[in-house]
Amino acid sequence: MSTNAVSLNSRKTWLLSLDSWAVVAALLAALLIRAGVFTRVPW
Amino acid sequence: MADAIALPQARPAQPALQFLGVVPGVLLLAAVGYAGKLLERNVGTYAKAHHWTFPNIEYVLWAILIGLAISNTVGVPQIFRSGVATYEFWLKAGIVLLGSRFLLGDVLKLGGVSLALVAIEIAVAIAFMTFLGRAFGLRPKLTSLLAVGSAVCGVSAIIATQGAIEADDEDSSFAIAAILALGALSLFTFPLIGHALHLSDHAYGLWAGLAVDNTAEATAAGALYSDAAGKLAVLAKTTRNAMIGFVVLAYAIYWASRGQAKTVGNKVAFLWQKFPKFVLGFLLISVLATYHFFTKEQTTALANLSRWAFLLTFAGVGLRTNFREMRKQGLRPFAVGAIGEVVIAVFTLALVAGAGKLFGF
Repeated sequence: MSTNAVSLNSRKTWLLSLDSWAVVAALLAALLIRAGVFTRVPW
Repeated sequence: MADAIALPQARPAQPALQFLGVVPGVLLLAAVGYAGKLLERNVGTYAKAHHWTFPNIEYVLWAILIGLAISNTVGVPQIFRSGVATYEFWLKAGIVLLGSRFLLGDVLKLGGVSLALVAIEIAVAIAFMTFLGRAFGLRPKLTSLLAVGSAVCGVSAIIATQGAIEADDEDSSFAIAAILALGALSLFTFPLIGHALHLSDHAYGLWAGLAVDNTAEATAAGALYSDAAGKLAVLAKTTRNAMIGFVVLAYAIYWASRGQAKTVGNKVAFLWQKFPKFVLGFLLISVLATYHFFTKEQTTALANLSRWAFLLTFAGVGLRTNFREMRKQGLRPFAVGAIGEVVIAVFTLALVAGAGKLFGF
């Protein structure tokens, strides 16, 4: 599974785990929406 | 595999270069996902205009099918691979953002029901997969990896357990290939069975979250049924994911006691290291939404952002599934996984039906 190998190798070099980065990114996005930087996200 | 030998000797790329390296793959995920969304909108309209009978295919399935078509025909070129592998990042960010659609009371109530069902499911799945692995004469550590993969959360659980019990890379590849192949099959079979049995959104979502192994596939299998089922599938699967640390710790202690893995020193630190942090993010957003930290419009924006993140995930599920690669891994682990999955699916369906009668859903 080449993609898995890539993701595993990549995870080791990114300071935080993939999980933690996902949480940081999602919370940051939520704060930006809360602060009114993005008022609407279309779907 | 000259690249595989040469790569570890190379100096790791700078973070900025690594970041740039994922951009093409992320753009491919976005393009495939958006194409799925456009097809959902336009194919139905076109078929209706031409008086054709054509089933309404959701963007989730279109995105997966386009990804599968690319991966299994022309293949995913090297330049896109590290970006495509970020589908797990989008999945977890999407789950955290989805927390805004759950009030804390719902999480505690549904999570409580899920937790009880998850505990039963994990115990039965591990016992049955261990029995099957022995019956088929699989290597003991491969059996452990398959048991963890099918009982808890697919690939992440297998990777976490591989390190803890010092299993071979080959065993890990076998187990991952079997779990991924079965996950791909569940995307097509679960919604069909759910519709055939006229399951409610609630029952189906709970079932998909309990029985489908990989988080991405469980999310997709839920979303393929309905939006509400997708939400429930994510909640049940997240509850299952939260158990990963305990199961991996139990396996680590078991293999260490047999002298075939390192002894676990600080058990609390081990549990924290293995605990999926996105579960905490999901709960935090849910608490904030419960206490009206977000307005109604902001909650809608967060939910839509979560859908975009899932769109990239579903594209990634198709793009990383290569049936030719999976076939190379051999039939026996796949057979054990398949028999185990069928039994677990039937068992969890009965479990959900029983819980449905008890809790009225």
